[in-house]
Amino acid sequence: MARVRECGYYDIIVIGCGIVGAAIARDLSRYALKIAVIDKSSDLPSGASRANSSMLHGGFDDEPGLLKAKLCAKGNRMYRPLSEELDFKIRDCGSFVCAKGAEEEKHIEKLYEQGKANGVIGLEIVSGDKLREKEPNAAPDITAALWCSSGAIVNNFEATLAFIDNACQNGASLFTETEVTGLLFDDAGANISGVSTNRGNFRAPIVINAAGTYTDVISRMAGDDSFKIYPTRGEYFIFDRSAGNLVTSFLFSCPSALGKGITVARTADDNLLIGPTSVRQTDREDTGTTIPGLDEAFEGAKRLVPRIPRNMSITTFAGVRANIDIGDFCIKAADKPRGFVNVAGIKSPGFTSAPAIAEYVAEIIKDSFGGIVKLEKNPTFNPERKHIPRFSELSNEERAELARKDPKWGQIVCRCESVTEAQVVEAVRRGARTVMGVKMWVRPGMGRCQGGFCSPMVVEILARELGLSPLEITRQGGNSKLLTGMTKSPLLPEELS
Amino acid sequence: MADAINTETKKFLCVSCPVGCALTVSVQGTKVIKAEGNTCKLGLKYAENEAANPLRTFTSTVRVDGASLPVCPVRSRTPLPLAKMFDVTREVAKLHAVAPVKMGQVLINDVCGTGTDIVASRSLG
Amino acid sequence: MNHNTREIDVAVIGGGPAGVAAAIAARENGAENVAVFERDREAGGILRQCIHPGFGLHTFGEELTGPEYMERFIKRAHEAGVEFSLNTMVFQMDEPLAENGGKTASFWTMNPDRGVERVKAKALVLAMGCRERPAGALGIAGDRPAGVYTAGTAQRFVNMEGFMPGTKAVIMGTGDIGLIMARRMMLEGAEVVAVFEIMPWVSGLRRNIAQCLDDFGIPYYLRHSVCELHGRERLEGVSVVEMDENRRPIEGSRKFIGCDTLLLAVGLIPENELSKMAGVKLDAMTNGPEVNEFLQTSAECVFAAGNVVVVYDLVDFVSEEGAKAGKSAALYALGKLSDGGREFRIETDSRIRIISPQKLTGGQDVTLYLRVGEPVEGKCELYAEHGLFSKTLRYARPGEMNEITLSAEKLQRLPADIKSIKIGLEVS
Repeated sequence: MARVRECGYYDIIVIGCGIVGAAIARDLSRYALKIAVIDKSSDLPSGASRANSSMLHGGFDDEPGLLKAKLCAKGNRMYRPLSEELDFKIRDCGSFVCAKGAEEEKHIEKLYEQGKANGVIGLEIVSGDKLREKEPNAAPDITAALWCSSGAIVNNFEATLAFIDNACQNGASLFTETEVTGLLFDDAGANISGVSTNRGNFRAPIVINAAGTYTDVISRMAGDDSFKIYPTRGEYFIFDRSAGNLVTSFLFSCPSALGKGITVARTADDNLLIGPTSVRQTDREDTGTTIPGLDEAFEGAKRLVPRIPRNMSITTFAGVRANIDIGDFCIKAADKPRGFVNVAGIKSPGFTSAPAIAEYVAEIIKDSFGGIVKLEKNPTFNPERKHIPRFSELSNEERAELARKDPKWGQIVCRCESVTEAQVVEAVRRGARTVMGVKMWVRPGMGRCQGGFCSPMVVEILARELGLSPLEITRQGGNSKLLTGMTKSPLLPEELS
Repeated sequence: MADAINTETKKFLCVSCPVGCALTVSVQGTKVIKAEGNTCKLGLKYAENEAANPLRTFTSTVRVDGASLPVCPVRSRTPLPLAKMFDVTREVAKLHAVAPVKMGQVLINDVCGTGTDIVASRSLG
Repeated sequence: MNHNTREIDVAVIGGGPAGVAAAIAARENGAENVAVFERDREAGGILRQCIHPGFGLHTFGEELTGPEYMERFIKRAHEAGVEFSLNTMVFQMDEPLAENGGKTASFWTMNPDRGVERVKAKALVLAMGCRERPAGALGIAGDRPAGVYTAGTAQRFVNMEGFMPGTKAVIMGTGDIGLIMARRMMLEGAEVVAVFEIMPWVSGLRRNIAQCLDDFGIPYYLRHSVCELHGRERLEGVSVVEMDENRRPIEGSRKFIGCDTLLLAVGLIPENELSKMAGVKLDAMTNGPEVNEFLQTSAECVFAAGNVVVVYDLVDFVSEEGAKAGKSAALYALGKLSDGGREFRIETDSRIRIISPQKLTGGQDVTLYLRVGEPVEGKCELYAEHGLFSKTLRYARPGEMNEITLSAEKLQRLPADIKSIKIGLEVS
């Protein structure tokens, strides 16, 4: 039998680099620990952290006493200072839960009370007319709304990348395209000792399971089948920026048993976002959109904002949320094997809760595993990191300054989003490996032409910077190659092609 | 009567210019007896060619070394038989040009015995 | 200061067929400093990748390929003393400035060597062309794999970079670039399974059906649409449905078609981000600036020409309109542009979907370009009200533009109370 490759010894391994894994890694990088973060995708964020509403919830949706109620309200308060420290985009837009008629009004009153109990600040119930003063395009039959001034919207790609980027700057190691195939134990299974992956074995006495829709699969590997994940698909539309000004705040439908319902929002980058639907499925990977799903999302959004122009949609997408069967986040250390921590069922408001979850996990480690690792201060921890400068948001003076230092700042690659070659090069330097990865980092292809103009150039830059042929460049890893060969090669005899 | 038996009616869409006239053509063998639907004399000529031996301008690219682009567009100087398109492509596929290339420069003489040349359709340095 | 300011007479944004023709005409009509701002490394625009023949029959009397057509124009531009600012992106447009008793155009450019520059021009010609409608606008459901391209992106990969975007393609839409790419993919050794068009008619030129599809035995299906993509990494196939008269999917008509590539040729949209920044009024139907017979926009020192105004069928028309705009811009810069003093609005009947120009002053003879919304098969009469124009057509189809010429003299002779001219199509 071939020997399994050893990939190193760590203090802590974090499985999954969504917003939760990234925030945990970043928070733990405050301490002098050797941290490995492993993720099976080529580029980050993937999974639900890539495809969600990018909403920072106020924290009124969940019943007091639930862990998620506590962590959501706390996470919300943590985000603004974090966005300064870590340089990701956030827009304080506030949110409205819109009620139509007496029954729904009763429901938003309940949310109001819940919110107060959860310590949410800035809540107010307003009339439909008051809502329409702020949101003139909101439906005329909305009778009342719950305003939450602490509701906000974040650039979810930038936020996730910011956490892991800062974690890595502070000494953590990120391994992408690394898929966990099993857990390693010692002392007859009493203690966890690492993970086996497609790349080999990573060793650590503490393993944190933040694998999103796969948390139950990983947990079962540790012998814990106390919860089950129900992958739940949500479908969305994104519209051109010129439709973004239809709303300024985040509009929710009145929630139902299935979820928070369809929302309409202006994203942190000023596009209009509508969705999600909520459909359970067995497949953890199926992020395809469906015709009925898109129709449902659109019709639902029209109930909030009747004049959304469907023909101004620039793309559709779907995310798979890690819904769980226990009604709350499942964040706890296993009794056995010692050293294994589940961070599971982080559905909405997971994105909002992530920084609070990270602190909660650090507490668990401190309380439960003091004998295994010591949380001593990382003497070189730097809480601040800078995102790649956003050309589109710079002043002309700043643009000129950058272009003088490096001509690549003068070469615009994506004209819809005003992205320069320098930004793409820097994204590759910081870890982007695919067209999608570059898009997550600096947005080429996110605009109204959806990569029609920039994709040949992004492929060229990726190939050049990675020392690869353009034929090897993929859209999103795996077999998603963009090009299939040289022209005429199928017509030539083999020795020539 | 014999004439009528040998006469075929064919429909062509003239591609001589963007108007795209729909031609109805009476053909005996490869000879045009009558053409209708054309709005200029190019149409008649097109019908005659189409009945006998359809011709098309060939365009493609060739690999080029030392230029600002990896490929240079080429064309047949004059139209060549449609039936030879793939033969000509295979010939062009074997070609490797070296920069600088001038527009109109002959890259293959009398390609595949068609009597026409393959020329560069742009200058490339 | 971190930037220079360049002051010129006529600035042209876009170095494609419209912009180059405009710059030549501006020089020929007396403008001293004329510069074309082109974001690519060379001028030529989209024609650089249109290596197929079919250009220039009107202009040069022979059929040229796109690169040949542009090389001739660019040579003329150099001879005429036009300056080219290549690799130069206009990233910001100001609203025209009130200066020296008139209006001055002002915008900002970025170039890797010269950095940020501000340009002030006495007159400006917008010639940014158009872009392709992306897949997102169609609301196609399913996965989001590699292998889905607009036809123009695929054309760039194949014709300018020498790469194949796929081996087995389905084409959605019968726009000309899609048809042209069907032939290109075949000739480069790929397979083209079929072309699907959601409308009951073809949107491209009919000769492209003949020489790009029929010649190669590629089938096309009207009233069919790709509704779903399959394949998580690379495209593995598409689902196609047939549509009924009301463009609703026919139940039970859904079919799976295996392919690794989907090319989209579902429409072109004038590229008017800069026009909007300049405060130029856009026409809701053409999606381009509203212009008069001088191709002057609502911002008096700003002119527009080519596919940025309205998407034309033929590049020859684009060049002709470019030349008109360039001449007007030069005259404006020299203070010599005088309009006809009249104010006519062009109005259309319900058969006509788009028309340009939309306003006339009677200052010079004008060609109106128009498209019908739905095909009229059979004789019809295209007319301009007040006896200004009338022509019998054998048919009128959305894929083929129609033209109306109106003489300035006749317009000037109309009674003073006439403020609008209706253009219509009478079906006999």
